[in-house]
Amino acid sequence: MTGILLAIPVLLAGVVLAIALPHRHARVAAALISQGVAIVLVLLEVVPVLAGGADLHATWPWSFPIEDIRFHVDALGAFFLAWSLPMTLVGSIYAIGYLKPYVAAGRNAGPHFALLNLVSLSFVVVYSVQNALVFLLGWEIAAVSAWLLVIWDYRSQKIRFAGFNYLVSTHVGLFVLVSAFMLMHGKSDSMDFGAWVGFLHKPSGLRSMVFALLAVAFALKSAYFPFHTWLPRAHAAAPAHVSALMSGVIHKAGLFGLLRFTLLMGKPEEWMGWAVLAMGAASALFGALSTASQRDLKRLLGYSSTENVGIAAIGFGVGYLGLTWNAPALVLAGFGGGLFHLLNHALFKCLLFYAAGAVYRVTHTVDLERLGGLWRVMPATGAMFLLGGLAISALPPFNGFLSEFLIYGGLVGGGAPTIMGDVALAAMAAVLAFVGATSALAITRAFGVAFLGVARDPKIHATEPVPRTLLATMVVHAAAIVVVGLVPLVGLALVQAPVALFTGPDAPPLARSLDAVLDLVRVLAALLAVLGVLGWWIGRRARRHVTWGCGFAAPSPRMQYTASSFAAQFNRIFEAVMPVKRRETLPRAVFPTQPGQLSTSHVDAVERRMFEVLGQNEQMAVAVSKRVPEQPRIAFAIGLVVLVGIVVAVVGGLP
Amino acid sequence: MRIGALAAQLAALAILPIVVVGVINRVKSRWAGRKGPPILQLAFDLRRLLRKRAVYSATTTGVFQLAPWLALAAALTAALIVPIVVAPVLAFRLDFVAFAYAWGLGRVALMLGALDTGSAFEGMGASREATFGALLEPALFLVAVALCADTGAGSLAGGLALRPHDPASIALWVASIAALLIVVTVECARMPVDDPTTHLELTMIHEVMILDHSGPDLAVLEYTAGLKLVTGLALVANLTNPVPSAAGELAGAAGVVGMIVALAIVVGCVESLTARLKLRVVPQYIAIALGAGVIALLATAWRLGAGT
Repeated sequence: MTGILLAIPVLLAGVVLAIALPHRHARVAAALISQGVAIVLVLLEVVPVLAGGADLHATWPWSFPIEDIRFHVDALGAFFLAWSLPMTLVGSIYAIGYLKPYVAAGRNAGPHFALLNLVSLSFVVVYSVQNALVFLLGWEIAAVSAWLLVIWDYRSQKIRFAGFNYLVSTHVGLFVLVSAFMLMHGKSDSMDFGAWVGFLHKPSGLRSMVFALLAVAFALKSAYFPFHTWLPRAHAAAPAHVSALMSGVIHKAGLFGLLRFTLLMGKPEEWMGWAVLAMGAASALFGALSTASQRDLKRLLGYSSTENVGIAAIGFGVGYLGLTWNAPALVLAGFGGGLFHLLNHALFKCLLFYAAGAVYRVTHTVDLERLGGLWRVMPATGAMFLLGGLAISALPPFNGFLSEFLIYGGLVGGGAPTIMGDVALAAMAAVLAFVGATSALAITRAFGVAFLGVARDPKIHATEPVPRTLLATMVVHAAAIVVVGLVPLVGLALVQAPVALFTGPDAPPLARSLDAVLDLVRVLAALLAVLGVLGWWIGRRARRHVTWGCGFAAPSPRMQYTASSFAAQFNRIFEAVMPVKRRETLPRAVFPTQPGQLSTSHVDAVERRMFEVLGQNEQMAVAVSKRVPEQPRIAFAIGLVVLVGIVVAVVGGLP
Repeated sequence: MRIGALAAQLAALAILPIVVVGVINRVKSRWAGRKGPPILQLAFDLRRLLRKRAVYSATTTGVFQLAPWLALAAALTAALIVPIVVAPVLAFRLDFVAFAYAWGLGRVALMLGALDTGSAFEGMGASREATFGALLEPALFLVAVALCADTGAGSLAGGLALRPHDPASIALWVASIAALLIVVTVECARMPVDDPTTHLELTMIHEVMILDHSGPDLAVLEYTAGLKLVTGLALVANLTNPVPSAAGELAGAAGVVGMIVALAIVVGCVESLTARLKLRVVPQYIAIALGAGVIALLATAWRLGAGT
């Protein structure tokens, strides 16, 4: 435990040096070296815990009102520590290359690196401390440093607004969290997590309330629907590495909190499992649908975070139900799949944001409507974006597929005690399938439009090469994705120990659930490699000509399908939940003299409804009720489904 | 045994796509009053294409070049999960998840190849493929889950062994066949969703995505399309196989192959006798599959609920 505690002063020293040292290279070096030292210190302690060793304990005596500060790193904390700190270091290295133009123009990057150090510090605190007040301190350090990191480009009003939006949201979450802690403090008269176990173990109305408060607080942190409104703005505004770290690493703290309190709570009630499952499914669906419509690449990736934490929560929901029903298979599949998905998401989401950052560095825009043909300018970045994209769409043979496969195993295993429970879980599997296919659509669209075809906007001059630090950090993540996809034992080794906290030590290893599917994944990988090489070899002889396009040999870049046209049909189907903002001046008269213009953008559905409610009051209800009779078929279909449901519930339930 | 089974499956996967496409085309020519090309015409076409050199658009990158081959790899992997002449080599619990995602990978490869050309036509095709594919995915899952839950089998092959014997299982069986037929028509771009022989690019889905491919690449794409069709039809053929499982492995295999050919004849008749749906109606057509999937799931629940 000394090593982990020692990491705190090391990181703090890095913070001080990164601000105080006179030379700019020395400032950056101080931050990176202190992070590196902290990682070594932490990993030396944490790896034995993950390998099955004893938990780490330490206590600092302190006076009232904080009381003794107890540190306790179990496998769950060890799991989060094991990848959070290294990934933050990778992000900090990326920052060197990404911020170079700013530094060259005279900006002092020292404080930025100091803040990255503080983020690492907050991980050490949050993932190890057992005292509520110190936990909140770590929580707050993460929130405030993330806010300051987001507003790096603070001169832009838009970015300041996005930052404040985030700051307010995260503090609303903090209030909710504090109130939950206060309730528990009132019941146990202690600030120590361990003292809350007695209260949390007994089902009561107050426990349900505490659970709801905690769920909301952690959902705000991890950007679950409908608490995600801060997320697309913040991710679009922040520098790429900050977006990557926020999405991939920092906001996983919310899920850590949920899992930590699940462990304290012991056996949850059934409604809690369904609530987590529903929240996960709603987030996954909403996130996936939103990714299909966005035109800002970083906003798109931001929504994809909501989708992926949703998928992880579906897993956790299954695990919750498994705990309630005493179904060890569900606990294993649910928590195993969920935790594995968290790790995988951190791997590919950081990669995607880094690639998006490289695009921004080279082209100075991330607007999909203006990009195109970037593969020719930056093939390595393109290949890695594609790799991350395939992995995030859960396509085999990459790591995302394996974690979703584990979750599917929980959903369709038939582990529920009632038939209706099984049906609900199976329906959830269909939702997850839809989410997967939609995210494949979104990634195909993002990659295909930005990297393939030809450049759309002649004003973009992409000549500058991608800096080497950016490429190197991407390679690290890409390699991890491939390795975890083909040899998942590497990733499962991290997940196994924390899952055992939920399942008990006797559960079968997670790897066994993946044995059979791994054969298929490897066959697929081998076929892809062999046929890919064959195709490349045969294609060497090919001739080059213009795109045939049905004999039209004079294509112009403006004739290509754009990002919005690619998703137009899909988005029209879901227009009711994905509102679109349209600005148009169409050409008038038979011989128009003025050129027309049309621009569409998809605004956040929740944010828009929020403002609508504020602005229109009951007029909105009138508008909604007016809309229903216009689509009698839909009303009829819904009625029919409800009717069938009732009939089955009544008839099927009879002995 | 495993090696022998693999060899038999691969041989079937090599021959059946050619035969099935040939049978469909022959049926269509008969309806049109023509004699029609030989049954093995696709094999001649493939040989001719494989001898040619490809022409790549100067716009394209390596993605375009590799897309057909990666789609083939994905389709082959998926085909190893479905029983055609022997019990599948790669059957395992929840293999339908891998099946659906392998098809998904092939779809993504094709769409990226299409977008790489920078042609509006091909972008259009890719957009439609992506939209319909996303809407269709839950239907396949609902049916697969229902079948597997009902038969107590974990794998697709086990689920497809379902035979109707009481009212609930008849409902499940019929709904599954309906949903799977819709899945096949959409995934394999057949009528009434997509007309493989249409001459109007504006209404195509699959064909318009491969407009720019030529030579060996086109051969691979044509074969992959046939392979996907055989795999899809094999799902339905297994479910409707008239040979009882007691009759032995060989007779069962003959039954499946016979049903695949019979379904190919049905596909040919449907393509001759129906008009293509309007593109904006296709989502509603897919919604039928979704509805059938829900019915299948509820029928299973009903049956299992009554059993306990």
